[in-house]
Amino acid sequence: MVKFCGSLLIAFSLTVFIGTPCHAQAKIDGYDSGKITIIFEPVFKDKPLMLHDQYYVDDNNDTLYIDAFRFYMTNFQFDCGHYQKEIHATRHLFDASDTATYTITFDPTPGWEYRELNFTAGVDSVINTSGANEGDLDPVKGMYWTWNSGYIMAKLEGRSAVCKTLHHEFEFHIGGYKSPYNTDRKVYNLPTSFLWEEKSDLSNIHFPQIQTHAVIIRIKTDVSAWFRGISLAKTNNIVIPGKEAAMMADNYAKMFSIVEIKRY
Amino acid sequence: MKVGYWKYSMFCCLVILIAIGSVSFDNKTDDIRFVIPKDWPKPVYNFSKNKLTQAGFELGRKLFYDPILSRDGTISCASCHAQWSGFTHGDHGLSHGIEGRKGKRNSLTLFNLAWNKSFMWDGGVNHLEVQPLAPITNNAEMGNTLEQVVKTLDTAKGYRARFYEAFGDSTITGQHVLKAIAQFLVMFESFNSRYDKYVRKEPGGEMTEKELSGLRLFRQNCESCHKEPLFTNYEFENIGLAPDDSLKDYGRMTITGDPGDSLKFRVPSLRNIMVSYPYMHDGRFNTLLQVMDHYTDGIIAGPTLANELKTPMILTLQDKQDIIVFLKTLTDKEFLIDSRLREVRE
Repeated sequence: MVKFCGSLLIAFSLTVFIGTPCHAQAKIDGYDSGKITIIFEPVFKDKPLMLHDQYYVDDNNDTLYIDAFRFYMTNFQFDCGHYQKEIHATRHLFDASDTATYTITFDPTPGWEYRELNFTAGVDSVINTSGANEGDLDPVKGMYWTWNSGYIMAKLEGRSAVCKTLHHEFEFHIGGYKSPYNTDRKVYNLPTSFLWEEKSDLSNIHFPQIQTHAVIIRIKTDVSAWFRGISLAKTNNIVIPGKEAAMMADNYAKMFSIVEIKRY
Repeated sequence: MKVGYWKYSMFCCLVILIAIGSVSFDNKTDDIRFVIPKDWPKPVYNFSKNKLTQAGFELGRKLFYDPILSRDGTISCASCHAQWSGFTHGDHGLSHGIEGRKGKRNSLTLFNLAWNKSFMWDGGVNHLEVQPLAPITNNAEMGNTLEQVVKTLDTAKGYRARFYEAFGDSTITGQHVLKAIAQFLVMFESFNSRYDKYVRKEPGGEMTEKELSGLRLFRQNCESCHKEPLFTNYEFENIGLAPDDSLKDYGRMTITGDPGDSLKFRVPSLRNIMVSYPYMHDGRFNTLLQVMDHYTDGIIAGPTLANELKTPMILTLQDKQDIIVFLKTLTDKEFLIDSRLREVRE
C-alpha cells in the first residue's frame, strides 16, 4: 500500500508538472497575451446594465428593474474560411452579478483568419440528457430543474409596477430541450474578420507583418431584446418549458452584437 | 478541433485517473461488480462515464444514509427508502420529510435502476445521476439546495478525504456528490428471487402448483405492462384510479403538458411487491387483494385509460389469490438483506 501511494504521488506530481504552463500569463492592457478574449457587455438599450437600482424602459414603455440575469453559452465556433472551423468545448455561464463571467478566452491558431463567430445561447439536448456535469454545468449553479430534468438556459428576474404579482416581480426561467419547444438557440455569423499573425517580419519594408499579441472582441448583450413583442403586464412569469419559453428564447437569441474588435 | 496544451494536460490527468480507478478496482472491489443477469436487456446507464469503484460506492452509501443532505439534518435518502421494503418507505402511503411535511406521492422502490430510462412516478427526471436532486430540493422532502449540500459536506468530518479517494479531488463538487450516489444506487440489483431461480432452473427455484397457476394468469392478464424480467415496460399508463380530491395529481401531464398524458403514472416494477406496500402512486391500497379488486371492479373509464384495461379483466377470487401467491415469489431476500447495501456506522 505504501508503495502504491508512492507511485501515486509521483504520478500526480508529474501530472501537475506537465499540466502547468511554464510561463506566467502575460497581460496587455489587462487582457491575456496570446489569446482571443471575448467580453460580453450587458446593457439595456444604450445604458450599461446595473442590477437592482437602475430603472430601464422597454419597447412597451414599461419601466422596470433587473435583479438577476444569467445565461449559458456553449459550442463556440469560429469560421476561419477555406472550410476551416475552430471548435471550442467551452461551456460558459454568464452571470450579470459576477464580472469575472463576462469574459471568455480562446487559444488562437497562428496564421488563421477569424471570419465569423458562432455559438449556442443555451445548452443542447445531448448535454441536457447526460447526467451530472462539471464546471459551469454543475447543478450547484442553480441553473438546473430538479423535478423536470434539464438546464435553465437563461434566467431573467426583475420588477415592474405593471406586474400584478407579489412584489411586482417578473420571473423568466427559460428552458426545455425537447422539440418543438427546445430553447437553445444558435447565434450565427457574428462578423469578426481578423487574422492571427504569427511572426514579425519587418525585413520586408513594403509589407511588414506585425505579430498579433491579443485580440479583444466586445459583444454587446442587450437585455431589452427579451421584452420585444411582449407586455410585462400580461407576460411576467415563464418558469416551465413550452410555447412561451420557446418564444422568449427567440428573443434572447437576438441580444448579441459585436461592437468592437481590438488588436494588440 | 484544435488540440492545445491544456487538452494535452487534461489527457494526462485522465490517464492517471483511469489508472487510479483500475488499481483500486483490482485491489478491493471484487464485491461491487455490476451484474447483467442472463437474458436481461442491456442496461441504459452509461458506466463508462462513471466508473464504479469501491471508494465511490462507499461514498455514495455514506451520502445515502446521511441526514446531512437535508436542510435541518433530519432526513436522509434512507428515511423514505429502507432496504427491508425494497428501498421504499414501507408502511407509508405518503412519506414525511423535514418538519413533518407530507409529500404527495408514494415513495418508489429502488432497484435495477440501471435499466430505467427515466425516474419518478411522472418520469420527470431523465438520468440516474440527477435523480437525487428531486428529493434534495423538494420542500416536503429534504428542502435543501445542492449548493448548500456541497458547502455542508465541505466542512463535515471525513468527507473531503472520501471525495479524494473516490474522484482524485478533495474539492467537493455537485457533480461528484451526484456521481457517488449513482454508484451506490446502481448496485441495488434484484435478480435472485425464487421466480428468478425458477426461470434459471436453479436449486431453490421450485414453484408450487398454485404459484405456477398464478404465473400463467399473470402472463395472460398483467404481462403486457409488467413485462418480465424487469416486471415493467417503462411506460406511463392511466390504470383507471380516480384522482384524489386533495392531491389533484395528474401525473405525467405535469411534465409533458400533453392532455393525452393526464392521470398517467409510471408502470412500476413488481419485484419485491410483497414488502413494498402500500401500493399505487399515492399509496391508496394496503393489500394486493385490493389491487386485484381494482383491476376487476374499480376501473374508472376516461379518455387516457390504458388500452389493455378498456375491456374489463375477469378474474375469480381463486385466480386473484393465485396471482398474489405468484407475486410473493418475486421477493428477493438476498437483495433485501444484502450487507453491502446496509448503513455502515462509523
